[in-house]
Amino acid sequence: MSTSEVVQPHRTKTLRRPVGYAPRRWKRALPLYFMLLPTLAYLMVLTYYPLVHAVVISMQDFNLIGNRPFVGLKNYENVLSDPNFWGDFRNTLVLGVSILTIGFVAPIVIALSLNEVLQTWLKRSVQMVIYLPHLFSWVVVGGLWIQLLAPAGGLVNAVLAVFGVSPVQFMSDPQVARWVIILVSVWKDVGFNCIIYLAGIVGINPSLYESARVDGANRWQEMRHITLPGLARTMQVVGLLSIMGVLRIFDQIFVMRNAVIEPKVNVLMTYVYDEGFQQMNIGQATASALLILVFTLVLTIFTRRLIRYDT
Amino acid sequence: MKKSQLIALVSTPALAGLILGCATVPHNVSASTNSAGAAEVNVKSAAATEPTLTIAEGVIGGKTPQENQAFANAIGAALHCKVKLISVPSTDNYDQQLMTMLGAGQKIDVVYTEGSTLAELAQKGEVTNLQSEIEKSKVLGNPKVVPQWEWNNIKLSSPNGKGIYAVPVKYQGALMPIVRQDWMKQLGLSQPKTLNQYYNVFEEFKKKENAYGLTLSSLYDIEPFMSAVGLKNGYVEHNGKLTIPYATNAAVPVYAWLHKLYANGLLDPNFVTNSTADERNEFLSGRVGMFVYWDAWVPMLNNLASTQGAAASFDAEALPPALGPNGKGLVSKGDTSVFAIPSNAPNKALAFKFLEWWNTKPGEILGSLGVKGIDYTVSNGKYKLTSTGIDENMDHGDPEPISSEWKNPFPSLQKGYANARAIGIKYGYQPLINANWNNAEQIVWQYGDDAILGRLTPQQAVEEMHAALLKDKYISQ
Repeated sequence: MSTSEVVQPHRTKTLRRPVGYAPRRWKRALPLYFMLLPTLAYLMVLTYYPLVHAVVISMQDFNLIGNRPFVGLKNYENVLSDPNFWGDFRNTLVLGVSILTIGFVAPIVIALSLNEVLQTWLKRSVQMVIYLPHLFSWVVVGGLWIQLLAPAGGLVNAVLAVFGVSPVQFMSDPQVARWVIILVSVWKDVGFNCIIYLAGIVGINPSLYESARVDGANRWQEMRHITLPGLARTMQVVGLLSIMGVLRIFDQIFVMRNAVIEPKVNVLMTYVYDEGFQQMNIGQATASALLILVFTLVLTIFTRRLIRYDT
Repeated sequence: MKKSQLIALVSTPALAGLILGCATVPHNVSASTNSAGAAEVNVKSAAATEPTLTIAEGVIGGKTPQENQAFANAIGAALHCKVKLISVPSTDNYDQQLMTMLGAGQKIDVVYTEGSTLAELAQKGEVTNLQSEIEKSKVLGNPKVVPQWEWNNIKLSSPNGKGIYAVPVKYQGALMPIVRQDWMKQLGLSQPKTLNQYYNVFEEFKKKENAYGLTLSSLYDIEPFMSAVGLKNGYVEHNGKLTIPYATNAAVPVYAWLHKLYANGLLDPNFVTNSTADERNEFLSGRVGMFVYWDAWVPMLNNLASTQGAAASFDAEALPPALGPNGKGLVSKGDTSVFAIPSNAPNKALAFKFLEWWNTKPGEILGSLGVKGIDYTVSNGKYKLTSTGIDENMDHGDPEPISSEWKNPFPSLQKGYANARAIGIKYGYQPLINANWNNAEQIVWQYGDDAILGRLTPQQAVEEMHAALLKDKYISQ
């Protein structure tokens, strides 16, 4: 026979704020709010004010000195009707998507391979060597690769010559140069992303591998069913950060471009630079920069919704 | 308030100040960095009541902040004022930083710039028209100090050719072929005058010296060869219509000749990506026998060769351009190097005084030899370069003053210069360029390089180049 019991709800005390609580809390929190001030000031002065100022400039016929008449959306119209802008937009997408795809897969493959290396010294040495290019500026890396790929005196062509291959004009054939730009970009950053993935692998619970081994899983199955799913969060974060940078490629192109390959490698940021500092068309350059900002924002929101890295 | 809260209140702003770099700067600190990242040198030696002359420059001065300070001191002492020298190395993209400074509202009395940028600044009324002051000036109005042709060149940057908006910084010189004269002598070659003769010289260099005959930096320096068909660099204007001679059918034979050089291994194949520094290095190291560069660099190359391990026999000499059927030749002069006064300059009178002084003998000595006691000494009226002066090769922004009355006190360090300057004066012209030239030039180089590399026939290259220039409205016919 079962017994039943009437459960009475607990009478919880109503949390009533004592008289004078709010001012006291405010007073107690005041120093904390005060500590926020430098950060707020930093954001206002160095981020939001320039952004608002840029919006104003983008609607002006901007002169360096003197009058800056308001021209409404004319600068935006000029940008959107400029075929060079759309040509550079296409180049940005081709280069950006290629760098993103290869640059996303390559560090995962290398990290997984390095994870299989048993000799610690070898693993660390390889890690260090592939990480080094990330530390150099694009001026150094770009100049280095231009020299290495030079048809006369370049190391790559010297090696090809040993195999009887005639010199290749890597940096003056637009199609080849595009691939050079993509691969050099991946080469420079692969070590950095690889280290992030290796850190992610270390964070995977070892007992999962032990259980898998007990169940008879081989190395491939461990990698396929434990390591890769375990890296999903890391992949999401790396992917999001990479996507946010897609439309902002600049340094590399600026250093490595030349007259012959420019139509195939100029990107949106070089458009901004050329309009602003070559043509001194500051209003139009600012309008195009703000359009890039909007494109990046849209891309980021879309990607964030898609991968939901923070859920 | 609790003690910890009090500490937080006091320490936060101090910490923030420290992090954001807002620490108090002692008043006597004289070297700093401005918003555009340019090094600034403030001369405080003069009395506090004296006016301040602010100069933004990319070529004048010394090679270190200390030398720049001494340089600014020397100007200040001569003009009895304080001098603030905003020094941006040309490698740090001077134009970009100048635009940033002016756009941000920084008040500058004198700006260094070049003809193409001057045209844009003058067009927008951002620099002062100095014509009436120049005409009244005893220094700048003297044609022996600044010859009329120089004013004509500067006027090319004026809106509709009216007014004079700048004053020359130096004699700009011209781009001309510079050859290994020691190889020419050794191989018994005579001075080439036509494209065919140039070709033969390159072929000999290739065979006998195992070097490329010629190196280029894209199409930057092909004018001495376009000279053979009488074509000028930049724009030409006919009946109010602008065209680019390099994009006309007349240029086809020269592109074909350059392609022949490339195909036969006489042209350095790195020419598309070469910087001018690469060209100099290849020439000094004997990997090429000829390149096209500034007349002022002939003695500098000879001096550098003796100190930087080039062959002992090294002898650089300038050559005249390839001559056309009418016996005439062309070499392009450099974009004018000028000082201008922004329209919002706080001390326009002082700024103009500086422009005059720069073209007097003390100014010319400072701009060439450098600062007395640092770059040179004078004993019994004789000049002697110090080790710093030797390293800096008598170039402090004005290596060759424009005045016909200027005489370099070190003729032995000027090997080859007289001949080179004579070539520049005989064949030199100032190319006509406008605000569109930077973009138009890229199109010309793109198709021209394709023609040299053989990806397009010269005829195709010229047709496509012309069509692209017309499409973007960079030419009117």
